[in-house]
Amino acid sequence: MLVETIILVCASLVGFYMAANIGANDLANAMGTSVGSRAITIKQAVIISMVANALGAVLAGGHVTNTISKGIINPQLLSAEPNKFIIGMFASLLAAGIWVNIATYFGLPVSTTHSIVGAVIGFGILSIGISNICWGKVIPIVLSWITSPVAGAVIGGGIYVFVERKILRSKDPYKASLIYSPFLIFLVFVVLILSLIFKGLKNLHLNLNLINALLISVPVAGLFGLLGRYYIKWQVERHISADEKKGYSLVESLFAQLQLLTACYVAFAHGANDVANAVGPWAAIFSAIKSKSVALRVYVPLWMLLVGGIAVGGGLMAFGSNVIKTIGENITEINPIRGFCAEFGAATTILVCSRLGLPISTTHVIVGSVVGIGIARGAGTLDLRVLKNICISWLLTLPFTLLLAMLLYNILIYLIF
Amino acid sequence: MRWVLSSLFFKSPFENLQKHADKVKECAVLFKKAAELHMQENYKEFEAITDEVAKLESEADAIKRNIRNHLPRGILMPVDKFQFFLYIREQDKVMDEIEETLFWLSFKEGSIIEELKEDFLHLIDLVIKPVNLLSPLVNGARIYFKTHFDDDRNKVKAICRDIRQWEREADFVEKEIKQKVFKGISDAFLVFYLIRLTEYIGSIADHAENASDMMRAMIAR
Repeated sequence: MLVETIILVCASLVGFYMAANIGANDLANAMGTSVGSRAITIKQAVIISMVANALGAVLAGGHVTNTISKGIINPQLLSAEPNKFIIGMFASLLAAGIWVNIATYFGLPVSTTHSIVGAVIGFGILSIGISNICWGKVIPIVLSWITSPVAGAVIGGGIYVFVERKILRSKDPYKASLIYSPFLIFLVFVVLILSLIFKGLKNLHLNLNLINALLISVPVAGLFGLLGRYYIKWQVERHISADEKKGYSLVESLFAQLQLLTACYVAFAHGANDVANAVGPWAAIFSAIKSKSVALRVYVPLWMLLVGGIAVGGGLMAFGSNVIKTIGENITEINPIRGFCAEFGAATTILVCSRLGLPISTTHVIVGSVVGIGIARGAGTLDLRVLKNICISWLLTLPFTLLLAMLLYNILIYLIF
Repeated sequence: MRWVLSSLFFKSPFENLQKHADKVKECAVLFKKAAELHMQENYKEFEAITDEVAKLESEADAIKRNIRNHLPRGILMPVDKFQFFLYIREQDKVMDEIEETLFWLSFKEGSIIEELKEDFLHLIDLVIKPVNLLSPLVNGARIYFKTHFDDDRNKVKAICRDIRQWEREADFVEKEIKQKVFKGISDAFLVFYLIRLTEYIGSIADHAENASDMMRAMIAR
C-alpha cells in the first residue's frame, strides 16, 4: 500500500511537471503573438490561457483515451507485468518532461506529442522488444515535420494577403475593415464552431458529417458576424473621433479584438489536444495501480483533466510569463493584424489538417504561419536561419526522448527490482 | 528562458537606416554653414566644420557597415535586399559628395568670386532640400512597412516626388552657374575649379534623387 501511494504521488508530481512544461513551452508560443502585438496584456494572457486551456482539457480533452501508448505499443503485451507498464509510463512521462524542459530553456519549439511518443517507443523497445513496436505510427510524425509548417505557412500567408489586399491597401481602411471584419468574424466562428463540433463535443457523440456541421456552423457564425459588425460600429462611434477613423490605430484595435477570439481558440485547442500528453500516461499509471492490470483504453477522470489544465496554465504563469514579457517588450514586428493572421491561420490549419487526418503540431503550425506571413512580405525582418535550429529540435525530439526513456526505465527497474 | 518565435524575428535594418539618414541630415546643415564660412573667408571655422563633417561621415560609414554586415543570407525582409543595399549606397554617397565638396572648397581660398556667391548659396539651398527629405523618406517607409496602408505609401511617394522636383531645380541652377562661369571668367584654372565645384554640389542632389528612386522601387507593388 505504501509503495503504491509513493508511486501515485511520484506519478502525480511527474504528470504535474510535464503539464507545467507543456504550459511553458507550447502555450507561451500560442499566446506569444497576442502579447507581442499588445492585443492583450501578460496578465490577461495568463488568465485567458488558464481558463481556456482548462476548459479545452475538460470539455474537449480525451476522456477515454488509448492515446497514452499512442498506438505505438500494445499495452496488453505487458498485461502480465503491470509494474513494468507503470514504471515504463513513469519513465516516459519523466523523459518527455525533461526534454520539453530543456527545449523550453533553449527556446526551441518542440512538439509535446512527439516527445511522449519518442519516450513510449524507448520504453517499449526495452519492455516488449523492438519487433513489437508499431513503426507505421512513426510515419505520420515524420510527415508532420513537413505538413505542419507548410500548411501553417500557406494558410497564414494566404489570410495575410487577403487582409492586405482588401483592407490595408484600400483607400479607406476604416471603411474596408467595417465591411470585411464581419466576414472575418464569420470565418473565425466557423472554424471555432466546427472545431467544437468535431473535437470539443465529440463526447456527445453527435456523429455529424461535414455537411451537417456546416449547416449548424455557417448560420450561427453568420449571426455572430452580423452582431460583430454592429458591435464594432457602435464601439467606434462611441469612442473614436472622426479624425481617428482613418488611422492605423483604429484598424489595429479592431484586429486586436479579433485576435482575442483566436487567442482563446488556440488556448482551447491546446487544452483539448496537448493536456492529454501529460494526463494520459498519468491516468494510465493510476488505472494500472488501481486495477492491478493493464488496460488498452484508460478512463481519464474529469478532475485529472482539470488539474492537468490548471497545471499547464500554472506552467505558463511560472515559466512562460517571462518569455511572454520578453516578447511583449521586444517584438515590435508583430502587430494585431499580423498576430491575428498568424493565430487564425494556425487555428484554421489545425482544424483542416485534423479533418483531413494529417498529423500536425500546434507549435510547428504557429511557426509556419508566422514564416508564411513573412514570405507574403507582411512580417518584419525574419531570420530564416533559425528554422535550421527549429528543424534540428524537431528531429532530435524522437531519438532524445527515446534514449532518455530507455535510460530512466533501466535505472528505475534496477532500483526497484 | 527564451521564446522561439522571438529568435525568428531579426532586428529591422530600417532603424539603422533611419540613424544613417539622420546623420546625412546633420551633415547637410553643417555643409551649408561651412560653405557660408568659406565665402566669408573664415577659413579657421571652415576647417573645424569640415573636420566635424568628416567625423559624421565616418560615423555614418560605421552604421552602413553595421547594416550590411548584419544582413546575411537567410534574412527575409519586407523589401528586396538588393534594392535595400542600393538605397544605402546612394544615401551614403550623398555624404561622400558633401565631404568631397568641402575638400574641393578647402583646396583654394577665396575661390568663389563675389558675383557668383549668391548663385552658389542658392544652389546649396536647393541641394540641401532633397537631402533633408531623406530622413522623413526613411521614416515614412518604416511606417508604411509597418501598416501597409495605401495612405502611408502615398506619403512616401509624395516625398519621392518632392525630392525629384528639388533635384530638377538644382540641376537648372547648376546649368545657369556653369553658363555664368564660362561667360564671365577667362582664367582657365578658375573656370575648371568652379565648374568642378558646381558639379560636386549638384551631384549631392543627384544621389539624393537616386536614393529616392530606390525607395520608390522598394515600395512598388
